[in-house]
Amino acid sequence: MSNALLTLQHTGLYAIFELRRLWLTRSGLMTLAATAVIWGLLLYYLVLPATELVSSLASMNTNIRVMGSNILQHLGNWPSSELTLYWLLSLFLLPIFCLFFTANQLCSDLERGTLRFLSLRSSRTAILLGRFAGQMLVQGSLILLTLTATLAISAWNAGSFTLPMLNGAAVIWVNLLLILLPFTALMSVFSALAPTAKLAVTLAIVSIGVGYGLLSWFTSTYPGWAFLHHYLLGAQVGKIATVQGWQTLQFATLPLLQSLVLLLLAYAIVRRRAL
Amino acid sequence: MSALIRCTNLNKKFGRKVVLHQLSFELMPGDTAALIGPNGAGKTTLFSILCGYLRADSGIVNVLGQPAGSKALFGKLSALPQDAQFDPSFTIAEQLQFYGRLQGLTAKAAASEMARVLSLVDLAGEAKQKAAALSHGMRKRAAIAQAFIGKPQLVLLDEPTAGLDPANALAIRKLISSLSGEMSFLISSHNIFELEQLCNKVLFLDKGVLHSNVHSNLALDNAQYLTLQLEQEADQQLLQQLQQLPGVQTLTQPQKKQLVFSLHSAQATSFDILLLQCLASHGCHYRSLTKGQTLEQKLFDIA
Repeated sequence: MSNALLTLQHTGLYAIFELRRLWLTRSGLMTLAATAVIWGLLLYYLVLPATELVSSLASMNTNIRVMGSNILQHLGNWPSSELTLYWLLSLFLLPIFCLFFTANQLCSDLERGTLRFLSLRSSRTAILLGRFAGQMLVQGSLILLTLTATLAISAWNAGSFTLPMLNGAAVIWVNLLLILLPFTALMSVFSALAPTAKLAVTLAIVSIGVGYGLLSWFTSTYPGWAFLHHYLLGAQVGKIATVQGWQTLQFATLPLLQSLVLLLLAYAIVRRRAL
Repeated sequence: MSALIRCTNLNKKFGRKVVLHQLSFELMPGDTAALIGPNGAGKTTLFSILCGYLRADSGIVNVLGQPAGSKALFGKLSALPQDAQFDPSFTIAEQLQFYGRLQGLTAKAAASEMARVLSLVDLAGEAKQKAAALSHGMRKRAAIAQAFIGKPQLVLLDEPTAGLDPANALAIRKLISSLSGEMSFLISSHNIFELEQLCNKVLFLDKGVLHSNVHSNLALDNAQYLTLQLEQEADQQLLQQLQQLPGVQTLTQPQKKQLVFSLHSAQATSFDILLLQCLASHGCHYRSLTKGQTLEQKLFDIA
């Protein structure tokens, strides 16, 4: 078997093992329970009464801007108020949850020495990509669960289940995964650097904050470089909110490129690191 | 015949501290080799470089004809790394099966391989346990089991019996001994008695320098030495008589009840009979008479 095929096969095995960690282990079930509680509260208090909330938000003369776009102007883009609210909540919450949720891609295994068992059987590239892919699978399955619950509420409130609702949910699912890709890749970098998941999260938050602050200072001093703001993590979110349906995929290039660069950086760290 | 391990001018530093210096050695197929040396000698660093966990600063390291850490070694080289732990979220069985899958086994074959290797270390009954539920010794045996998944050609074991009770340590020694025809071993340990039993070659490492290769069962060497373990301490009169036996070159007493005879090779063959007659006439009982020096004595000579 060629090296590339072997790496791909091992990546798949690692990703499925991570999915099993979520569904078949105690710690995974605790994560599921925590997700269920948080989203249960959000769905009950925010999504269930979505029709009133969205109409009151839309009637507000407030300029809530996300990455340069007033997202409240585009609330009618989605086929149901429930999906609209789910989309708004996810845009803000999921990237933050992602930093915490995906922080332990490598650090515990590095500290415990488990990677020594693994690296005798598969390449460091496969371990890194497998863990990354596994985290994306896990997040994808959790988003799917919460989206299904939102769809159910939407159908309950509307009295019927429509195809545009399903299409809207699919658009949201794909876009959320695209948004989470670079954040997950960022945690691949920090989980390869930090000895604990807590430290990885701290480093990520500090780096994002300091990076954003420095860039703001730099672009205020040299306005000609303001275009750099369009390359920050999540910079495409504001633009996605202004278009409808699958047109949103026109902004997929940036997160994909960001993820690629971050994964290459993580690979460079993992390749040189002593196990 | 190509070497199992070939290290040439291997160097490794941590900061300014030289951990391995100009290390060169070869292990050939069929060798069961011991890596021995005091704490901080560089044994674990050498193991880590051979396994690809660490990179050497300079020098050439080939394992089974491939550069250390190469993908071509997956499944052919296995190891018991020092202090490596299993993932606490999964059972031992799940993890060993997963390792089997990574080594290219089907799900069914990986399951039966898991059962086989756990039986080897007498842990078949603990397959469904997580690592945290096992004792230190059981975890060590499970870690040894993972090293035998598939058909590795070379197994590197770092302190395989450290922390095991005597019965389990004996079982592991027997296991290594029984498998040594099918695969080659490099074993790092502080237990000289254990290495003497298992290994036919010794690498003595001290302060990052390989002092010498010692062959623990070299026939010529064994013929020139006899080690006598007495029931009680030898008195002066007995020592004098033993020293005057024909063929004795030197007589040393490394421990109270232990005597080592260095012999002229021409008279070495019949010396043991003379020695036993002398002991009997003196009314002195002995515990054991061994051809050759113990590994410990050889290493002290080197050191």
